[in-house]
Amino acid sequence: MSLSSIRYLLREGFRNLWQNRFMAVASIAVLMSCLLLTGGAYLIFVNINYAFDLVYEQNVVVAFAREELSEEETVALGDKLRSITNVAEVKFVSKEESLQKYSDSIPEATFESLQGENNPLLDTFVVSFEDLSRFDATLAQIEQIPEVDSTRYNGDIAALLTKVRHVVMVVGGWIVGMLLLVSLFIIANTIKLTVYNRRLEIYIMKSVGATDGFIRVPFIIEGMVLGLIAGVLSYAIIYYVYGKLTEMFRFDTMMGLVSFSRIWMVVLIGFLCAGVFVGVFGSAISMGKYLKEEGSAADEK
Amino acid sequence: MIEFRGVHKTYDTGVKALKDINIRIDKGDFVFIVGASGAGKSTFLKLIMREEVPSAGEVVVNDYRLSRLKRREIPYLRRTMGIVFQDFRLINKMTVFDNVAFAMRVTGASSRDVRKRVPYILGLVGLQNKARSFPMELSGGEQQRVGLARALVNNPSLIIADEPTGNIDPELSFEIVELLNEINRRGTTILMVTHEHDLVRKFSRRVIKIRDGCVVSDSIGGRAGHELE
Repeated sequence: MSLSSIRYLLREGFRNLWQNRFMAVASIAVLMSCLLLTGGAYLIFVNINYAFDLVYEQNVVVAFAREELSEEETVALGDKLRSITNVAEVKFVSKEESLQKYSDSIPEATFESLQGENNPLLDTFVVSFEDLSRFDATLAQIEQIPEVDSTRYNGDIAALLTKVRHVVMVVGGWIVGMLLLVSLFIIANTIKLTVYNRRLEIYIMKSVGATDGFIRVPFIIEGMVLGLIAGVLSYAIIYYVYGKLTEMFRFDTMMGLVSFSRIWMVVLIGFLCAGVFVGVFGSAISMGKYLKEEGSAADEK
Repeated sequence: MIEFRGVHKTYDTGVKALKDINIRIDKGDFVFIVGASGAGKSTFLKLIMREEVPSAGEVVVNDYRLSRLKRREIPYLRRTMGIVFQDFRLINKMTVFDNVAFAMRVTGASSRDVRKRVPYILGLVGLQNKARSFPMELSGGEQQRVGLARALVNNPSLIIADEPTGNIDPELSFEIVELLNEINRRGTTILMVTHEHDLVRKFSRRVIKIRDGCVVSDSIGGRAGHELE
């Protein structure tokens, strides 16, 4: 295809868009709402996964040693814990160390009175696992050790997150799927309107021997540009809104939202690809049908 | 060259538009097609343009056997012919120049060729000074000359004119046919459907008369010649 033709086809594509601008705005709006919801679902998903990782990292079992254990017995308990398969690491935290953590949060006088013999805390072992899927079995083994007073863990948070992640995936998937279909139809209709408005030109093109491909290209370009505009605008909105949300939810360094700088590329490329795909596919649908139905365009008067 | 061999056309509605048409139009001929409305003239043209396919028989146009033509080959058949419509079918929001250039561009012509060829063709039909005008600013006769320029611009070997003078004043009709005559002198085959007996009589050319889907006469000048019925 010559350079002149490419220039001509591009110009025609943009001309279609301009002459059909109200319908174009409508399609862009619908496509944008679809992209924004998809993007929103994705961001929620990413953040849940992020939280998941954090919880997993903190997913340790704290085993409390019985109060009456001697120092040797406590050391032996540590070795016992280490010998359990699936235990990755055992860290000893003495009750003095544990108490020290509270030095800032309780009044000094009270803190002083709790030193030594009066320390209400127990010596603890922080146990982390190699394989979290065997969490329950390994936990049971720890609890069977007679020297272990009790255990504490937050496995239920992991279970909750798993559930939420699943729900977001299923519900989000359905919503996004339906919206994609709706945008596809709206884009196809926009293009159909352009095609209808320009049926005389199309008829003339056919009668002078333009190929179907050549007739189709400007409409494909129109759809593609619609998709690109929707993609870029959606990205700008997500960028702004997510930025605001990140500021709002920055509690401390540990908790908070995944920083946008880590995911912007996925969002941008995803939006552009989805936009272009829907745009091109939508116009291909309406053009394909038109070219077949009007294959002869005989009574175009 | 156009050849119809035993061509029948029956539409899905059951209407028998053409019955056993056998005709040959050689390169460089000038032929008038006459007949009442509904006689089958339009179907005859549509078969040549491959807008319709015959129910039986074979149509050959410019070496293309139309029954064997694949869908994607149709555009190349159409590039060998130029079509002039009764209602001009100009694009009103384009200038005269662009209306003609459009027909070249959509077949992939380069900008350079367009810039060279369009003024030449506009000169041929006497519209060199109207290139920047819009169709609505022109008279009917001038609009049809734009239509003719558009049909000519891709240098076809066959011009199909479907009642080209139907929408313009009788005194200007003569000019249009005179122009077709001039084009024919340069070797282009002309096929013109018309209702105007005055024109047919004035230009003493081959006349094919269609009635009820049959060719009822094929003669020079439209005089009795050899009536087939």
